[in-house]
Formats: sequence, C-alpha cells, structure tokens
Amino acid sequence: MPTQIRLFYVSNVFRYSQSYVEREREFWQAGVELVGSNTSETDGEILCLLVSSLRKIGLKQIRLDIGHASLLRNLLNATRLPEEKRNILRTLLANRAQAPLEAFMDKNNFSSKLREAFLQLSSFRSLEQVSSTSFISPELRKANNQLRKLSDLRDVLADYKIEKIVYFDFSLTRKIDYYTGLVFEASVPNIGLPLGGGGRYDNFIEKFGKLKLPATGFALEIEKCLKALTVQGFKVPEKTRTKVLVSSKSRNIGIKTVTLLRDAGVTALLNVKKNEKNKLVKSAKLAEIDYIIFADSSLTKPVTVYDTHSKSYKKEPIRTFLQNIGD
Amino acid sequence: MARKIRIAIPSKGRLKQPAIQTLQNVGIDILEKERSYISQTSNPRFEIVFARAFVVPVYVHYGAVDLGITGHDLILEREADVYELLDLGFGKCQLVVAVPENSGIKSIDDIPALAKVATEYPNLSRKYFETLGEQVEILGVRGTAELAPALGLAQIIVDLSSSGETLRKNNLKPIAKIIDSTCRLACNKIAYRTIESEISDFLDRLKREECMTN
Repeated sequence: MPTQIRLFYVSNVFRYSQSYVEREREFWQAGVELVGSNTSETDGEILCLLVSSLRKIGLKQIRLDIGHASLLRNLLNATRLPEEKRNILRTLLANRAQAPLEAFMDKNNFSSKLREAFLQLSSFRSLEQVSSTSFISPELRKANNQLRKLSDLRDVLADYKIEKIVYFDFSLTRKIDYYTGLVFEASVPNIGLPLGGGGRYDNFIEKFGKLKLPATGFALEIEKCLKALTVQGFKVPEKTRTKVLVSSKSRNIGIKTVTLLRDAGVTALLNVKKNEKNKLVKSAKLAEIDYIIFADSSLTKPVTVYDTHSKSYKKEPIRTFLQNIGD
Repeated sequence: MARKIRIAIPSKGRLKQPAIQTLQNVGIDILEKERSYISQTSNPRFEIVFARAFVVPVYVHYGAVDLGITGHDLILEREADVYELLDLGFGKCQLVVAVPENSGIKSIDDIPALAKVATEYPNLSRKYFETLGEQVEILGVRGTAELAPALGLAQIIVDLSSSGETLRKNNLKPIAKIIDSTCRLACNKIAYRTIESEISDFLDRLKREECMTN
C-alpha cells in the first residue's frame, strides 16, 4: 500500500436539511482527500490546491480563513467549565461579540492568563500574529503545540506564495466534530457563503476499521463557485455551434448534404418536404437555425445559402460555406 | 469603488423606529423614499434595505445584505449562521409558553400529551418541547397566535411577550420562558472577513453612542 493516497471526486451530494435557509437537497461538490500524512507540508499542499483550483476557474480576490480544531478544544478544556457552559462560550466566540465574551469570562472567574489568551486569539487575523505567540501558563501548555504547527504552516504557505491570502480565525469550527486539526474555508467578497472548505480528520478513518490513518481534504460547492464567477462578471459563453437547416427536393442529395455538414461538426436538420420558402424561414427562426441551405442538385455545384440573421441569400460551394462558418 | 455596505432593517413593527433611530445616532440618516425597499443614506458608504424582521436573519446569512438589525429570537428561529456583533439593547422581550387563564395548566408539567401549540416560532417551539421530552403538535401560524386558544385551534401558544399586556388582554397567562431576546446587529460572516475594518468602525461608533445614552 502506498504511504500516501491522493483522491478526488466530482459528484452530486444529497443532504437533508430542515432549515429555512438551505433548501437544496441536492448539490454538486468537487473534492479531494489526502490520506496518510499529517505534516504541515501536507496541509500546505491541500491549501495551495484549493487556492489554485479557484484561480484556475477564474475567480479573483480569493481568501482562505483557517482555524484549528484542537487549539480551540485545548483552550475550552483549560477553562474546566462544564459542557453546557463550554457551549455558551463557543457560541460567544463564534458570534465575535467582545462585550458578552468578556462579561462571560468575568462571571466565570477566568484566570487573567486564560482571559488574555481568549481575547488575544480572537483578535488575531494573521498567521504572523499566531507565530509570534506562545503561552507560558501550564494550563495552556498543550495549546502551544498547535501554535507551533500553525507557525510551521505559515512557512510552508510562504514557500507556496499564498501566505498573503490566508487569514487566521480562532472561532472557525466548521460545525463538524470529526475535525482534529487545521480547518479552513474559502471565500470571495460579495458572496455571503463560503465556496467550500475542509480540514484535518486524523481520528476518523479508524472508526471504520483498525487502520489509523491521518487525513485531510476539502470540498468545493460547484453552484456557489458558479454564482461567484457570475458576480465577478464571468459570462457563460454562448453556444457557438452553428445550426443549419437543409432543404432539398431530393432526399438523396439532402441526406448527402446533412451528412457532410454533420461530419464537419455542424448541427444539421433535413427538410425534404416541398415547403414554401416563407414557411421554411419562419420555422427556422423558431428552431434558432442560423442558415438554411437549399441543395437541389449535385453538391459539386454551388448551393443557395440563406442567412437567417442578416436575411440575405448567397450562392456558394458547400466547402466554402463550411470554411466560412469555421472561422 | 467597493460596493456599498448594506444594512437590512425591519420595514414595520416595534423594531423599525428604534432601528432607524440607532442609525441616525451614528450619522446615518435614511433618505427614505415612499415605498422604496432600498434607501440611500446621508452616509455614501451605507444603504438601507427595508425587510420584514423575520427575513432579515436570512438576508444576512446569505449575504444579500452585509448587516442586519433584528431580534435575537428571529436569528435563532431562522437558524441563521451569522455573527451577532452587538446587543442594541432595545426590543427587550421574552419568548414564552402561554395558556388560557382559566385552563387547569399551571406549569409545563401539566401539559397534556399531544397538546396543540400555535406559534410563529415553530423551530424554537419544537426544540424546546423536544428538550423537555414533551410530545406536542406544533401549529405554525402567522401573526396572531394569541387568538388560537379562543378559536379552539390550540390549547397552548408560544409567543413573544414584552410587558405581558397582549397576553392579559387575550386572557392568557405565561407558564414558562423559552428565551430572552433583544434587538441585535447581525453580520454576514464573509462580509465581516472582507470589510472588517469598516464594520469595526461602524461598530465602535454604535458602542460609543450606546455609552453616551446610558
């Protein structure tokens, strides 16, 4: 078995939700997983892949916000508060409201060191700030491991040259309990929801067997990415495939003509009924046909081409017609 | 030029005037045109969207607006994943369980199995009774939940109460409190990331104003 496994998927995903807000039960996700490594280099590789995926599809002003599941957990553990109060504290952190957070810490007799740590981490926005911090008090010593990890990650991201678009967000948790380390979200301005995100889940795979394998990954929501592209001015290219209606009194020549057109990649329809030209033009308009070709005798002779957009007739050999629309 | 910062405020109801006042206090006067849903303000960086208080949390969650002024109760009811940056202090109320004064129900323990509960807050009500292990039938209504018992639609209601006046008028009495609520400044999470400095400035001005009025 290889030491590292790299997987990807693009798939429709189903999720039941009772919420008022998320009504879509089915949506499309593109994701990757990297199994078998828990180094900062791996975390950096995944973050870089996320950024380059979004850049590749043409998005601008991308940013990543990262948090650390174990860092938050260690700080919550250091409070020694019962579960119920820890959840309140979590909500306060997640709300980014400083006054209620301070009031809560005062009310629950946080040590000044712990109080300072919560406020400091909540105020940090860059990995630079995280890197220059370490806690001295024994109750927070465990958290220092995660601070060092984040500092290592910053160096990796600098080598990938994406450190300037990666921000730190202490309150980021992504609402999934299986994350053990780095968690992250990708976003662009003026789109109110993250385009995707992911994180490290080192204790998850062993729950399905005896294999203990660290892993990390992310998923992008395709509909949200499309929406972001649209907001940034991306226009879905219009269909350029030319549609041609072939009208012929002879079925034999008509079929020869459409076959020639279809082989050249043109969408072609055949009409062998003896319709009046006016009627033909009308129905061509309805079917969004670009040209009507009247081919009544051998294809070695020029055919009559009616352009439905300019409403003009032209006589030309079918090869010339194909060359012209190919340009 | 960056897009204007959009704030959604309630288009009617008890939160509308105080919300307008709050913005006015920090120099954002709404140049309200009759029946316009998006209003320009005296501050060129801000524009106002009038919306039902009930949908403000959803607008903020989705990022249709960057900020919103609405009740904490509505943010919870609509499960909006937003930052609640500031408690604006006004619009104090409680979400309570109430029953007719003449009913034998004195506390939550007396509620009969499968009792019908009329409410504008189906989500919070369902969660509340689930936590208690009480099996009830939730009847989602719009507007006047207080009427439901008199009309025989439900034995119990879950509704907002600030002074208790409306409950008394309808011969109802509160028997339990579900949550306390006030009006909040809600913020879209991505907007907070991308325009944090402007939002912080706005927040500081609101806080300063709050200190002065208290």
